[in-house]
Formats: sequence, structure tokens, C-alpha cells
Amino acid sequence: MPFHLNTDKLVDLSQAAHTVTDGALIALGGGLSARLPMALVRELIRQRRRNLHVVGSAHSIDVDLLVAAGALAVCEESYVGFEQDLGLAPAYRRAAETGAIEIRESCCATILTQLRAAEFGVPFLPVRGVKGSDIRRLHPEYAEVTCPFTGEALVAVPPLRPDVTLIHAPLSDRRGNLHLDQPYVLDERFAAASRTVVATVERIASTEEVAEAGITIPAHLVTAVAEVPYGAHPTSCYPGYAYDRGHIAEYVTAATSGGAALASYLDRYVIEASTEEAYRKVVGEERLAALGCWSDSTTAWKELFA
Amino acid sequence: MSQATQGGGAPDREAGMSFSIDEWFVVTLARTIRDREVVFHGFGSPCAQVAMHVARHSHARDMLLVEGATYAVNPDPPFIPPTGNDLSLQRSASYRMRFEEFFDAAIRGDVDRMFLSGGQIDPYGNTNVTAIGPLDRPKVKLGGGGGGCNLAATIRHLSLWTTRHRSGRTLVEQCDFITDVGHRTPEGSRAELGFTGGGPEWLVTELGVFDYDADGRARLRRLFPDVTLDDVKAATGFELQLAGDLQTVPLPSAAEIAALRAVDPLGVRRSEFAPQELRRTFTHREGARCIC
Repeated sequence: MPFHLNTDKLVDLSQAAHTVTDGALIALGGGLSARLPMALVRELIRQRRRNLHVVGSAHSIDVDLLVAAGALAVCEESYVGFEQDLGLAPAYRRAAETGAIEIRESCCATILTQLRAAEFGVPFLPVRGVKGSDIRRLHPEYAEVTCPFTGEALVAVPPLRPDVTLIHAPLSDRRGNLHLDQPYVLDERFAAASRTVVATVERIASTEEVAEAGITIPAHLVTAVAEVPYGAHPTSCYPGYAYDRGHIAEYVTAATSGGAALASYLDRYVIEASTEEAYRKVVGEERLAALGCWSDSTTAWKELFA
Repeated sequence: MSQATQGGGAPDREAGMSFSIDEWFVVTLARTIRDREVVFHGFGSPCAQVAMHVARHSHARDMLLVEGATYAVNPDPPFIPPTGNDLSLQRSASYRMRFEEFFDAAIRGDVDRMFLSGGQIDPYGNTNVTAIGPLDRPKVKLGGGGGGCNLAATIRHLSLWTTRHRSGRTLVEQCDFITDVGHRTPEGSRAELGFTGGGPEWLVTELGVFDYDADGRARLRRLFPDVTLDDVKAATGFELQLAGDLQTVPLPSAAEIAALRAVDPLGVRRSEFAPQELRRTFTHREGARCIC
């Protein structure tokens, strides 16, 4: 929210993740299986961050992995899961069922309204829905307001100002101008409403190149940027790579088993792979390169998902 | 009267005259869409997603189709992928909305129809996608509602669906948790809540099709031909009301089946069905005229 005017935001992944402190309210960029800030999520787990409070729209392996590693205390996402294809989020589900995390499930449209209240600098905004839904019971911070013009009773929601927004983008310059491809999901709104924005990018380029591609989130909203190729893996970051459905299925299987199987996934891909270079080696350079084959032909693209 | 007979064998995909329940179900969902409607599906909803593309390539060519997680307008995807947020779902789109562009339009009342499902659905069309059992210690924590709890208030019509009616656990007298509001909740009717949308119009299940009566309660209108009323009664957790003109679900046309197979070559729609349901196949009766 405050503008960040320093001209060189380039840091390494470890420094970027250190922006997030224990107990922070964090917003995760991207959505479902696309452009999730996975390198930052893995680094937060390596740094043993605790008691995080996440907020956002529809998410999957980013939130589930944080839960699996014991990094999360409160979840305010509108959805956490692997869609019809791979089903419920195993660690999230287990933690909710045992009371290990607090569920403050929200709604995409309410979160959007709360982010706008923060952007506008007003103490609340009204939403028309939510009434009659039990989602309201999960949010004692909501209130009711009567419209001074029509007399209509609406639900009033407070501003949402994440401490840190974590975003993965295809391209930026050292100043932190980010280029994103659609769908941006809530990334632009998160960036404008948050106290700080930390980004990983596939590649650092010149300001001219980023401007040519189109600046989606301007440098003055961004606090730090780190270059991390495949930083969204196993989710997609087009045009570079499609999502790695096989890897996500491997995670879901491990997380569903829990115990040793889940610990072994975390060891192999996060803890023992102590850097993202090591992570890419464990996943396999060939496998990663194959995710870029989506653009060869429709058949190749389809086969990635079959 | 139905022209369908149930067959045991695999569908004859070449002839286009045999089809399976997932195909008939999706075509039935597609037919809840009227031409020139603005229509949206939630993510994780392959049946509704495929249905929208079928409608746009058959009876609703001038609808405005908004993809559920990319917000792409009228795309022609080369295939429907197993995830709702993939670049393939933006291919050939006439426009790509921002997240907030879509939500703003829906909330001010400019979206005509949304598809919604639930782990539990009550007789008034309230849906639960949050948790089975008490929320402080749920028996099953479901994924969550996405944008539904605001969108269901203001979008003009809702087409509900479930592929798990036969389980007996889906259509219930009362939801453990109301995520998205139907026609009436314990807090009041839609009018009393100040909602501007009309609420659920249809509920399509793998057993039949319900509409809603003047009190907002579900009423069985259509049955699939291999399903009996007793099957539906046994699977429904609330008192079953029947429409006066209870009939068989109208058959899909060859053109609709062809559109469906073209848009969903990976068969992602099938992921919503229990394996035993997918064995339900049908053929147009011998000598039946093409109904396309």
C-alpha cells in the first residue's frame, strides 16, 4: 500500500521469504493450478515459518503444502482443493477435521470487496450477498449497515490489508515492474492493498522489455523480486510451462497417506532439496522441459494432461 | 415417450446413436441454458463447463460464455483440461475479463445463469460445499464455495446439478452448513434477504430433473428411462414432490452428442460420476428417426 521507491529490488529467494514473519497475514497470488508462488511457499517451509494466516480465492497445493508442513494457523481462502480431478486437499482437510487449523472460509467476492476497501482507504464497504449463508457465522468481524439512501440492510465488511502478498510472474525488471499473463486473478488487487509485495519471476529482464510485454503490477507496489525459474512448479506459468499434473497427483497421494509418505515428500522436494536449484534437479530437468511442449501441438498439449 | 432403450455394451461413438449417462446428463444440463444468456460455471465443475460449450455449439449460439476460472469470454478450447485454470480455456476467446470485471457484472445483476453443485443440497436448493458435520469438528471438510455465497444472491438463474443423487447423502432435508443460498433459508426468503437474483431454476441429477414450485421447493419433472420412482424416493432425503406432467428426460440429439465429444475428448466430465453410473449406456431405438 505505501509506495516502494527504491530502484533495485533484486534479492535472492531466501531474502525474499524473510519478508514474511511468523504469524503474518499473507495473500497468495495465482489460482488453482496456475501461477501459484510455489518457490516462496517451499522457502517459507525451509525457514520453518509458523502460525501463518492465508487469505485468497481458489487455491490448491500452495495452501495444502503449508498446512502439511505445520506452517499455517488460519485459513481464509474461499476454496482449497484439487478440483474434480484430484479431489479434496488432504492436509487441509485433515487439519480442519482435527481442529489443527482455524477455518475462516470466505467468498471471492467478499475478499475482492475487502481489498477494495483497503485500496480506497475507507473503513468498510457493503456486499449484497452473504446474508443467509453460514459463511457469515465464520466472520464475527462482519457487521450490518443500513443504506442512508434506500434503507436497504447490507453486510458491511472491513478492509483487508495483507502484511505480504506473494506473487509469481513470468517477467520483471530489477525495479520490480511485473508482467503477468491473464488470468491475473486477485494479484493486482492484492498488490494494491498489501503492505508489502514479494515476487519471484521466471526471468529478470530490462525495463524496456518488461514495458514492451506490458506492466501489470508497477514497481512502486513491489518490495522485493527474486529470479526463480520454474518458481510456480508444479503449477503452470504460461507461456513457459503447463502444470505438472503427475507431480501434483504424486503429492496428493503422499498427503492422503500422511505420516511417513507425506514426510518423505517434504524431505525429498523441500527440506533436503535445500535450494530451488536442488528442487529442479530432484524433479528432473527433462521433466520440466517437457512441460514446455504444450505449444508444439494440440496433441502434445493434450497428452500432458491425459 | 422415450425413444431410448438401455444397452449393455459400449457406446457406438462412430454412429453417434449410442451414448452414455454422462453424455445425456451434460446435454440435459446444457438445455437449461437459453440463447442470449450470459452464463458462468464455477471451477471444479467439468459437467457444467462442458455443458456450456455444448449449448454454445447447438441451441444457444449467441450466449455469452464466461469460463469459470480464466474469465475468458466465448473461447473455443482445443479440449477441456482437468483443471479450470489453464491457458487452453482461453484459446480463441473474444475477450478476457479481469476477475473483478466478472464479479462486478454478476453482483450488479448482469449475469443470467450460473451452475452450482454441492456435497449437500436441500429441498429449497440451498447448497453445502463447505463441510459435512459441525464446522468446528467437521466429519469431512469440503473444498469451499469460491465466489458462490455472493454470486448466488444476484445472478438471475441458478442451474443446480449433482452426479451423486443415488448415494442418498446428497439430497438432504437440511444442509449441515449453507454455503450458497437457494430459495429460502432459516433466515428468510430471497426477497426477505434482499437478494436480486431468482435462485435455483433447475436441479439436474443422474436420476432425473427437478424444477422448483411456487414455494421454492424442488419437484421432480423428468426421469431417466432406466430409473424408477422408487429409486428416486430411496435416494432423496426430503419428501419427494412430483410434477403433474412427470415424463422421461428428452433424448440428446446427434448434433449435441457430437459437440460434446468434440469439446471434451479427454472425458473430464466422467470424473464426476461413480464408476457404476458410467456403465449406463443408451441407444436410440431401432428405426427411430434422427431427432437433431
